[in-house]
Amino acid sequence: MDRFIHRLAVTTALVGGLVLAALIVLTCLSITGRAFVFAGLGPVPGDFEMVEAGIAFAVFAFLPICQVQAGHATVDLFTNGLRPQANRTLVAFWECLFAAILIVIAWRLGAGMLGKFGNGETSMFLQFSIWWAYAACLVPCLIAALVAVWSAYDRLRAAITGRETRTISGEAQH
Amino acid sequence: MSALEIGLLSFPVLLALIFLRAPIGLAMLMVGLGGLWLATGSPNMALSRLKSEVYGTFANYSLSIVPIFLLMGHLAGLSGMSRALFKAAEAWLGHRKGGVAMAAVGACAGFGSICGSSLATAATMAQVALPELKRAGYSGGLSTATLAAGGTLGILIPPSVVLVVYATLAEQNIAKLFLAAFVPGILAAIGYMLVIAVYVRLYPDSAGQKPRLPYSDRFRALADVWPVLLIFVTVVGGIYTGIFNPTEGASVGALGTGLVAYFTGNLRWAQLRGALIATASGTAMMFLIVLGAAFFNGFLALSQVPQTISAWVTDQGFGPWTVLAIILLIYLVLGCVMDSLSMIFLTIPIFFPVMLSLDFGLSPEHMAIWFGILVLIAVEVGMITPPVGMNLFVINAIERETPLRQTYHAVTFFVASDILRVVVLVLFPGITLFLL
Repeated sequence: MDRFIHRLAVTTALVGGLVLAALIVLTCLSITGRAFVFAGLGPVPGDFEMVEAGIAFAVFAFLPICQVQAGHATVDLFTNGLRPQANRTLVAFWECLFAAILIVIAWRLGAGMLGKFGNGETSMFLQFSIWWAYAACLVPCLIAALVAVWSAYDRLRAAITGRETRTISGEAQH
Repeated sequence: MSALEIGLLSFPVLLALIFLRAPIGLAMLMVGLGGLWLATGSPNMALSRLKSEVYGTFANYSLSIVPIFLLMGHLAGLSGMSRALFKAAEAWLGHRKGGVAMAAVGACAGFGSICGSSLATAATMAQVALPELKRAGYSGGLSTATLAAGGTLGILIPPSVVLVVYATLAEQNIAKLFLAAFVPGILAAIGYMLVIAVYVRLYPDSAGQKPRLPYSDRFRALADVWPVLLIFVTVVGGIYTGIFNPTEGASVGALGTGLVAYFTGNLRWAQLRGALIATASGTAMMFLIVLGAAFFNGFLALSQVPQTISAWVTDQGFGPWTVLAIILLIYLVLGCVMDSLSMIFLTIPIFFPVMLSLDFGLSPEHMAIWFGILVLIAVEVGMITPPVGMNLFVINAIERETPLRQTYHAVTFFVASDILRVVVLVLFPGITLFLL
C-alpha cells in the first residue's frame, strides 16, 4: 500500500511536470510565431487560456507528492521542545484535517464541474467548455485526497506505534 | 460578534494554529473558511466559494510564472553554469584575503540572476563552492554562513519568486519591480563581500591564501559564463522592454536553461525527472499557501479588517517613518520563525493599504515599488536569521561536519550587513527608484 501510494504520487507529479514543460514549449512557440508575423506565422491562438487551465491541472497534480514528502511549510520552532510522541500526535491531527479539507475540496470541485456543465460556460477565446478543465483537474484532486487519507492513516499509525515511516518535516522551498 | 470582531480575532487564532505546527497554507484556509462561516452564520457561502475559487486560484496566469521559475532554477542547477560562475569569480577574486568566499558570493549573485529561489541558489552553489572553500583552508563556519547568505541573492537579484507574489498581491508591475530590485541586489553582494573582508581580518585563521592567476586565465574563465549572461539579458531584458510578459520571459529562460543543461550532457531523463519532482513539491507547497491566503484574505476583506486597521493607524497620527520602521521590525521578528512566502501573504493585504494611506513624499507607484523591495529584503533576512533560517538548514544538511552553532556565529555578521542595507534603502529611496 505504501509503495503504491508513493508511486501514484510520483507518477501524478511527473504527469503534471510534463504538462508544465509542454506549456513552456507552447509559450515559446507562441513568442516565436509572434516574432515572425511578417513571414506569415502568428502567435498560438489562445495560448493564454491554455496556460491557465494547464497550470491549474499541474498544481493539482503536484499536491500528492508534496503530501508524501511532508513538503508543506510549517513553523516547528515552538513544538520542537515537545516530546517526540506529542509531535507525532500533532502531525497526525493536522494530517487528518488536511485529508478532510482535500475531500471537501474535491467534492466542491466536482459540484463546480457540474455547475459549469449545466450552464455551458466556455472560455472567452478558444470557446472550450470550462467544465473540461474542471474535469481534468478533478482527477489529480481525487488522487490528492486519496494520498492525504493515506498520509493521515500513516501518521496515525506512527502516533500509535511510536515509529515514523517518514520524516515529519520535509524541505520547504522558496 | 460582528464580522469585524471575528476578523480581528482570526489573527491570534491563525497564529496559534501555525505555532502548533499546522501546515501554514492549511491553517489559513481553515481560518478563512471558518471565519466566513461564523461571519455569515452558515457554511453555504464558504462551500459555494470553494466550487469555483480553488480552480480559479490555481488557474492564474500571473502566478504561472512561479512553477516555471522553480523549474528554471532546478535546471540551472544541472546546467554546469554554477561551476562556471564559481570558477570565473574565483579566478578574479580568489587571491584576495577571503577571496574564495567572496567568489562564492559573486557566483551566488550570478546564479541569482537566472534563479528566482533562495534555497535553490544556496543548495546549488554549496555543492560547487563548499569543497573548494575547504580545500583553500576556509573555516567551516565562514564557508556555510557565506553560502547561506549568498543564497538570499537568488531572491534579491531578479528574477525573484517573492517579487512575483508581491506584485500580484499589491497589483504592481512585475517588470518595474525586477528593475528596482537590481541595484539593491548588487549592493547586497558587495555588502556580503565587505563582511567577508572584515571577518577574515578579525579571525585570520578562518581563511587560507591562493596564488594570483594571470589575466589570460581570468578572461578564459570569464568567457565560460556567457550562457548565464545570455539567459539573464533575454529574460529580464525581454520582460522589461515589453518584448514578452513575465510568464513568457520565464518560459524562454526555462527552455534556454534546459537546452544548456541538455547540450552540456547533464540533462537526461533521470535528471529531468528529479528536477520535475522537486519543482512539483515546491510548487504544491507554494500554491497551498496561495490558496489558503486567497480564502483568508477574502474573509478579511469581507470583514473589513484591512480598512479598519489602516484607518486606525491614520487616526493615531503615527508618523509614516515610525509605521514603516515598525512594519520592517515585524518582518525581522516573524522571519526568525516563518518562511518568506507565508509572511508576504499574511502581511501584505494588511500592511499595503496602511502604507498607501501614509505620505512618504513619493508617488503611489514609487511607494509601492520601494516598499516591495524593502519587504523583499526584510523577509529574506529571515532566511538566514538563527534559529530557523531555512538557508542555514539547507547548507547544514549538505555540510554535516560544521556544527550549526559555528554557522550561527559567522552568519550574524551577514545579518548585520542586511539590516544596515535596509536602513540605507529606507533613508534613500532614490537608490531603489533611480533606474525607473
